[in-house]
Amino acid sequence: MNDTSSTCPEYNNRLKMAANLVDKVRTKYRNAALRKRCLIWLELTGCSGNIISLLDGSNPDFKYLISHMTYFIYNNSLSVSEGENAMKQLFSVLGSDYILAVEGAVATRNNGLYNIIGRMNGKPVTALEAVKKLGEKAAHVIAVGACATHGGVSAAKPNPAGCVSVQSVLNRKVIKLPGCPCHPDWFMGTLAHILLYGEPALDSSDRPLLFYSTLIHDRCPRRSYFDMGIFAKKPGDKTCMFKLGCRGPVTRTDCPTRQWNKYVNWPIEDDTPCIGCAQFGFPDAMEPFISYNITREVRK
Amino acid sequence: MTKRIVINPVTRISGFMEIQADVENNRVVDARTEGLLFRGFEKMLSGRTPFDAVYFTQRICGICSTAHSIASTLALEDAMGIIPSEQGRYLRDIIHGCEFLQNHIRHFYQYTIPDFVKLPENYPLFKAEHSDFRLPQEKNDRLAKDYMDSLDISRSAHEMLAVLGGKAPHNHGVFIGGITTQATTDKIIKIKSILRTIYNFICERMIPDVYTIADYYKDYFKIGGGYGNLLSYGCFNSYKTLGTLYINPLVHTVGITCPFNPDNITEEIEYSWYKDIQDSSKPLETDPDADMSKALAYSWVKAPRYKGLPCETGPLARQWLSGEYRNGISVMDRTIARVLEAKKIAAVMNTLLENLIPGISVQMEYDTPETAAGKGLVDTTRGALGHWLRIKNHVISFYQIITPSGWNLSTRSNNMRGTAEQALIDTPVKDMENPVEIGRTIRSFDPCISCATHVYTGGKLINTLQVV
Repeated sequence: MNDTSSTCPEYNNRLKMAANLVDKVRTKYRNAALRKRCLIWLELTGCSGNIISLLDGSNPDFKYLISHMTYFIYNNSLSVSEGENAMKQLFSVLGSDYILAVEGAVATRNNGLYNIIGRMNGKPVTALEAVKKLGEKAAHVIAVGACATHGGVSAAKPNPAGCVSVQSVLNRKVIKLPGCPCHPDWFMGTLAHILLYGEPALDSSDRPLLFYSTLIHDRCPRRSYFDMGIFAKKPGDKTCMFKLGCRGPVTRTDCPTRQWNKYVNWPIEDDTPCIGCAQFGFPDAMEPFISYNITREVRK
Repeated sequence: MTKRIVINPVTRISGFMEIQADVENNRVVDARTEGLLFRGFEKMLSGRTPFDAVYFTQRICGICSTAHSIASTLALEDAMGIIPSEQGRYLRDIIHGCEFLQNHIRHFYQYTIPDFVKLPENYPLFKAEHSDFRLPQEKNDRLAKDYMDSLDISRSAHEMLAVLGGKAPHNHGVFIGGITTQATTDKIIKIKSILRTIYNFICERMIPDVYTIADYYKDYFKIGGGYGNLLSYGCFNSYKTLGTLYINPLVHTVGITCPFNPDNITEEIEYSWYKDIQDSSKPLETDPDADMSKALAYSWVKAPRYKGLPCETGPLARQWLSGEYRNGISVMDRTIARVLEAKKIAAVMNTLLENLIPGISVQMEYDTPETAAGKGLVDTTRGALGHWLRIKNHVISFYQIITPSGWNLSTRSNNMRGTAEQALIDTPVKDMENPVEIGRTIRSFDPCISCATHVYTGGKLINTLQVV
């Protein structure tokens, strides 16, 4: 140690460099002030379950979101305006700074005519048209929930409406928050990061590492049962549900530590297997959701 | 002179919808409700494991997902010959009750109130175009504050749901036999505690709020009546020891109230894009093929009918049929009935909670039958919901869903308009540019439609309505 410090001419500088960097980051973070920005929440082909999940969020809750984080411009479920006036409000953001959140898949059949979100000047506006127009100009695009991130249930086999993900129709970065629905904290946390510091660190599939970095299986409170080979035979049992078809081993979210609805519960604590709703490929690639012993002989 | 009003989107409903109303001398003389919900769930379910229907069908709707988990579970139990225990039923119905409360509170405050109350304009979301706000400032401000305060209450209804259901929307708890987990004492008392707060809010704020609106919009007791045919599949009913806590399956048509008989349900396709040997069939009979070349058709919806008649279903139908509220059938009565029903449901849930035995497990290992058929009919937040299914070679071979909004917002058949279409007739429209009256009438039915689908064929716009 002493040898290095006395022989290396750069040693003290290096020490300072680390301290300087830390200082820089600290100052940057300390000075980051939350600036309210415009937010559009567009619903496309889906069940509108993500806006309901957003209303279920707490600290920050929906009131905080619309009062202190954003100018919440438009959402089909909540806007007081209706008809063309509502559409005018939706498109009023074009030309200014805004963040676009999209829930639902994009129906592509018949050039998008399978999904009309309203009328402008008497003409129907397709979801495809709206997401392209708003998506290209947005400062950030956040795909919220399974249908928006990869088609989800709207695109389930045989995909009658020809549904695809938001990314499939946009040639730009789309932050992806898979989940059916998306946890309100995953959206609020991502949005807060954008407002304070810019885009959060994303994995290779554009999911924020903050929420999607770890497999459910790795933090499952029932992991010790898995390790010991003690498996549940039916929902309601308190041991590992791997043999019921639990998708925890392939699903990356923080459900085990975060939990849902003011953090009171989550599917595994409810004695049911994870169905992989936050994993790409849901639902088709995650079925069957419930089996009674996946290791038993396959029925002919 | 007839003028046509087109409203699209109809905001503050679940999903997308268009209304076309023809207006003469400031009165609606004809109307078409085009709420289109076609994602093809029935086709998607074919070939899937029967058990998966419980979680899969919840994705039909994000605001009332629990309803579909209940109906699909009942259909599976019927097909598999499983009779749930009374404790299993109590537990499941408590979860269902939570969903009722979440829906009714959000529908009243977030979807209905903005039609009558001026919300603070510094929020872009609350920008309103019409000017028919009649409440005195002080009362208006009180209701606007309750809009905000209600957000905590409706959220806590889902919190309560998650205590037994794992998460909401799209719960994991409702399943064959009752629910998956056990209601331990700590969970029961947690739900009771939350329920108490919700109950107090309903009694002290929500009920006074709806009567305040009724005082200043008395004309809405005379608007939006419609046929007056009422239908309920029943809910919170026929418990072995508790009897019926809310309503048995009942139907009221042509002035007579009778027990409901599921064999009288038909689906008409006269005005729908389907071809079959006949225009009318029973739910388990057929899954007709699409045929968009049909001359009369304007919709994907297969209009459900009871003895050939369109029926209203939902809180007012239930409150009227059960004798709890019989003031009348109108926009305002529908809105009041929904609010009063919230109190009723909270009371029913309390009774069920009082009768729970803590820590009971109701789950067993089930096997899928080789071949079976079943139906699950239940009244849920918006009204009568039915799931019908067939199982063949251990997988789903047929699935049929008729939603409450299918009943209320159906297309016409046999020269009769659908229920909401008829209710719109005679609705006065003061300002053709801002026809707030039409939206008020339609929202009183609490439409739940998940995506509007309009399709062009040969350059002509065809309006479609699909329900799931």
